[in-house]
Amino acid sequence: MKRRLRPGLILAYLVLGLVLLYTITPFLWMIFTSLKSDKEAVTIPPTLWPKEPTLEAYIQILLWGNFPIWFLNSTIISLGTALLSTAIGSFAGYGFSRFSFRGRATLIGIILSSQMLPGVLLVGPYFKMLSTVELYNTYPGLILAFTAITLPFSTWMLKGFIDSVPEELDDAALIDGCTPLGAYLKVILPLIAPGMVATIIFAFLLAWGDLLWVLVLTSGEKMTTVTLGLTRLVTQFRIIWPQLMAGSMIGALPPLILYLLLQNYLVEGLTAGAVKE
Amino acid sequence: MNTLRARSPSIHIPFRLAQGFLFVLPTLLVLLVVLGFPIAVAIINSFSLPDGGWTLENYAKLPRDGRFRNSLVVTFTFVAGTVLLHLVVGFIIALALNTQVRGKRLFRVIAILPWTVPDVISGLIWRFMYNPTAGIINRLLFDWGLIHKHIEWLGDSDLALPSVIFADVWRGYPFVMLILLAGLQAIPRELYEAAKVDGASTVQEFRFITVPSMRGMILISVALDTIWQFRRFGLVFNMTAGGPGNVTEILSLYVYKQYFRYFNFEYAAAVAVVLAIIMLLLSLPYVRAMVRRLS
Repeated sequence: MKRRLRPGLILAYLVLGLVLLYTITPFLWMIFTSLKSDKEAVTIPPTLWPKEPTLEAYIQILLWGNFPIWFLNSTIISLGTALLSTAIGSFAGYGFSRFSFRGRATLIGIILSSQMLPGVLLVGPYFKMLSTVELYNTYPGLILAFTAITLPFSTWMLKGFIDSVPEELDDAALIDGCTPLGAYLKVILPLIAPGMVATIIFAFLLAWGDLLWVLVLTSGEKMTTVTLGLTRLVTQFRIIWPQLMAGSMIGALPPLILYLLLQNYLVEGLTAGAVKE
Repeated sequence: MNTLRARSPSIHIPFRLAQGFLFVLPTLLVLLVVLGFPIAVAIINSFSLPDGGWTLENYAKLPRDGRFRNSLVVTFTFVAGTVLLHLVVGFIIALALNTQVRGKRLFRVIAILPWTVPDVISGLIWRFMYNPTAGIINRLLFDWGLIHKHIEWLGDSDLALPSVIFADVWRGYPFVMLILLAGLQAIPRELYEAAKVDGASTVQEFRFITVPSMRGMILISVALDTIWQFRRFGLVFNMTAGGPGNVTEILSLYVYKQYFRYFNFEYAAAVAVVLAIIMLLLSLPYVRAMVRRLS
């Protein structure tokens, strides 16, 4: 038995070793570059790790650049989108999970299909629409636009979490005289709280990483997000790579942290459902 | 997540009918405004002339537009290449993680990291890695004696698309790996034990147990990945912006440029509608299967 496993195991280590190299090299390159001076970053041949590590790039973008504003904008827009789409979507998730009504399958089909549309189909009309109602280059305008992407996904992710709660629980509440809304708020909501957090985080990540919408629906520095700000830096004539990589580092950090949090919540949400079955 | 269970027949059906619709209504209204309306506008635009009036010319122009045809080919190459490689790399890693190796949990966390990075930022990192003189890739290849002059990874029209694909494989394999790993762990051990008793080889086990058990997981991950890859924008925008020439100009970039660089709103809308139709047709089997499962 043991002898049979060994070659397979060696192969597994070999594969994982190669993948590890492929996976972490870009991260190391980003971190190392962010710690180099402007001059060292463009020496030929390039240094692998910083010879004279400096926090200059971080100080530059955090104290003298607009990066803090970009970060704030990204946070407001992503949080707004995540909360809005999760709040609205959870009601629909409950409706789809617990009730049968005419056109239910059709509606599920439409909501699912709407996730399959390309963003570029919408950006042109949005540009005109938001200009007409004077929401161009505003938080509400961007949050509405992002909701178009996140709401369908939030709806059916939440439906999944609600499905895992036994129907007997809200039936009991209904018999006790609760309205369906009351049953939803008092019984279901507390039980799917981890699922809701997971949904909020996923929607947040979708909005945080976007470039297309902010590129089209904003102008000037006032509404610039992290992704747009970094993109502008790279289209400049002289690219200052340490600053760009320092910005990338900080911009990539919230999704990274949230993902690690999400991992636990997801597992919790899933096992909670499985245990109750 | 979507557990199958027998539903008790509802006692108060008419009451539940109206209630259920009320719960769904806010989402429907919001989607109508933020999705339905702009889609309608896009379709109407695609049949319009710049100064008003109706036309089919925007669509008639498409087959004659060499840049559109090029963009179609680039898009399909990019999507097919990345989805296939995400699957291959993701599957291999999932298999390697499903053995008795040490440090599985830590490795799983590390392997997920690229997927958490916004694709815009991934594009920036890889762009600098590919930099001919100051990038790490040429430096390492030099050190190892594999090349003797600087390679213009993103500036060479033959290398640009493969280089972009290579970067996107880094970004996208973790998702497929996660799904497939969950699938692998769900395969009952007894199946393998029974196969061993019957004297099956490792290859046979893979062919007759692993792959068939994983069919659903593979299909779901490929379907989702395909859709996401058709929508990919930020990564390519920041790595090459479609260049050199138009060799990496995927359709989402082409539509964007038609809209906001050349201001051909009506023609851009027509290209976008075609892209939407391609994506809807490709996702139809997936949507159908999901609707059956969800309802």
